[in-house]
Amino acid sequence: MATKSEASLNLDLLHRLKSTEPPVWLAPRAELSETARKASKIIFSYLRPYAPKSPLDQLLIEGFDAEQIWQQIDLQSQPLLSSLKREVKKFEKKPEEIGKIREVLEGEKKVVESVGKVLEGERRVLAVESDDFDEDLDDGLDDDDDDDDDDDEEEEEEEEVEGSEGEEEKKGKGGPEGGIEDEFLKINELQEYLEEDEAREYGLKKDSNDSRKKGGRRVLDNEEDEDEDEDEDEEDEDEEELGVFGDSDDNEEEDEHRQKLENAGYEDFFGKLEEDSGLDDEEDEDEAVETKKNDNLSTHEKQSEQLRAEIEKMEKANLDPKTWTMQGEVTAAQRPKNSALEVDLDFQHNVRPAPVITEEFTASLEEMIKKRIIEGQFDDVEKAASLPSKAPRELKELDENKSKKGLAEVYEEEYVQKTNPAAAPLTFSDEQKKEASMLFKKLCLKLDALSHFHFTPKPVIEDMSIQANVPALAMEEIAPVAVSDAAMLAPEEVFAGRGDVKEEAELTKAERKRRRASKKRKFKAEATKRMTAKKARDNTLLNDNDGDYLIFS
Amino acid sequence: MQSSMDVETVSSQTQNEPGPLPLKPLFEPLKAHEMSDGRVQFQKVNVPPHRYSPLKKVWMDIYTPIFEQMKIDIRMNLKARRVELKTRADTPDISNLQKCADFVHAFMLGFDVIDAIALLRLDELYVESFEIKDVKTLRGEHLSRAIGRLSGKGGKTKFAIENATKTRIVIADTKIHILGSFANIKIARDSLCSLILGSPAGKVYSKLRAVTARLAERF
Repeated sequence: MATKSEASLNLDLLHRLKSTEPPVWLAPRAELSETARKASKIIFSYLRPYAPKSPLDQLLIEGFDAEQIWQQIDLQSQPLLSSLKREVKKFEKKPEEIGKIREVLEGEKKVVESVGKVLEGERRVLAVESDDFDEDLDDGLDDDDDDDDDDDEEEEEEEEVEGSEGEEEKKGKGGPEGGIEDEFLKINELQEYLEEDEAREYGLKKDSNDSRKKGGRRVLDNEEDEDEDEDEDEEDEDEEELGVFGDSDDNEEEDEHRQKLENAGYEDFFGKLEEDSGLDDEEDEDEAVETKKNDNLSTHEKQSEQLRAEIEKMEKANLDPKTWTMQGEVTAAQRPKNSALEVDLDFQHNVRPAPVITEEFTASLEEMIKKRIIEGQFDDVEKAASLPSKAPRELKELDENKSKKGLAEVYEEEYVQKTNPAAAPLTFSDEQKKEASMLFKKLCLKLDALSHFHFTPKPVIEDMSIQANVPALAMEEIAPVAVSDAAMLAPEEVFAGRGDVKEEAELTKAERKRRRASKKRKFKAEATKRMTAKKARDNTLLNDNDGDYLIFS
Repeated sequence: MQSSMDVETVSSQTQNEPGPLPLKPLFEPLKAHEMSDGRVQFQKVNVPPHRYSPLKKVWMDIYTPIFEQMKIDIRMNLKARRVELKTRADTPDISNLQKCADFVHAFMLGFDVIDAIALLRLDELYVESFEIKDVKTLRGEHLSRAIGRLSGKGGKTKFAIENATKTRIVIADTKIHILGSFANIKIARDSLCSLILGSPAGKVYSKLRAVTARLAERF
């Protein structure tokens, strides 16, 4: 399969991929993707003999999207990677082995290198195709940092591994396949990335099981409670892989190990059915036992093993204390810090949320205020008019003047009012009422006079008043009208008497005498009248007057 | 007595016949004369010195109704300084004498003739007199102030009470006389007593108003 022409074609494609500028990768391009796909297919078929258990004969690229192609590559590469790791670990412990199978290993390593490079490249390609920018950057970074791998993502094992692998890989460079690796694509970078990726994904859980190998034990309390069944499965897979690696290291020879590599079974891909727990020692022993058993189990037994594992997992979850969200009433002390922020708590808000004060809100308020002020429409509380429940009592006015009526008359009035109310004379309050109504009538008359359209003439009130000798119209109308001669008083009202009126100077002597005589006569008559009246009063004899006094018995 | 004897004879006659009941006897009212067995009755009213000249001024107004309508003889005993009243033969009622005596007495207390005349006209008018010291023992300035409180400025408090209660009040130094009907006298007396005891005039007015309104409502 790896003919010269194909190899050269392959290289040609890879060179083309490599030569494209990094910014070109930013936008998806059809030709680039086509090139990448073809390259991947060729490399895949190139690696096919070294992955005998891979189900795919060749990489299918027509009609598949990036994710699917990647999955196919993954299917082939995962066991390869694990086997590679195993080998490296083995060589760590027994460096003399390297010399024995150096040649074979070289070929393998080269394959692994190329595979690793291709994988990296493909990963990059596929990452671009699927717009996975971060991974690309990471890869780029890793590649760019040649010897300066002081990334924070690095961990202790990586350094160890890197140290051991880097030397080996550097030794292994220079072959015909070594052209793949250059400043852009480095195997040790790839290795670091893989380690780091795995460490990130599976965390420290795998380390707890491989305490013997790694020389350290990490507690996984934080991650135990999370519902990561898949993760556990993957952990198991990893554990199993590494466990197998380690166990094979301790317990088996290389030949057996290599057989195992070629006969990678179910557990290599899908992990042990046994669950991870805190009993490390027990588990390790169980692992050692089970790995022997798992080879001979039937599908049914495998399924039941799986079920049991699940059941045990669930039982363990039930026995453990529940998460704080499931514990009912939880105070702040009982839950981890800031954990309430992450959880989506559901409770009813009984209060309306406070209104957000924005510019528009205040502007609208102010507009309303201004409008109201202009209109004068204030929402003042108006006092409800209290309905008069009953007619207001007439307050009797206390007269503080000496009453003009005698006591007898007071009682007389009272009696008359009792017996004959109609004939009763007006009381004090009635008089006041009368006066008030009179005043009001006068006022109304004046107001009517001012508005000519509805003029009402003065009401005729028969009362004695002094009549001024003024033209009538002047009295009746307010508006200035042409003055007429019609006078208020009649001529006889003006002067009553005979026509012959003479002044003092005009009188003759006889007339003057006559006048004086008449005056004297009048005066005398009055004087005698007065005298008699006085005498009558002084006299004891009284005249018969009208009976003013009524006697009530 | 004669008439009574007549009655007896009549009744004995009718008893023989067991038919209709005897006629109801008819008695004419006794004259004042007959009541006291033909004797004349007198009343004497003393004239205090401060009422001497007012009496002289209004003598005719007193004399006329007493002599003409009440048919009581009245004369002034200058030496003894008293008014004397005597029944006549044609005095219709024995109570006339008493009424006239009360009337003259009221005038002597200080009431006006026109007010005192009411005594002649109405039966149920009375005169009540009491002293300030009966209500509260006051001395010196307190007494003067109490009298002042009773009268008010220009007598307005007194007149207010008079008008409100339909009475007539005479405040003669420490003596107080009230003329009116029984209930009205009571009201006036209460007001005056509260004034003596020291309540302000306004308070008395308000009470008066309430009481008189209630009285008026009754009719």
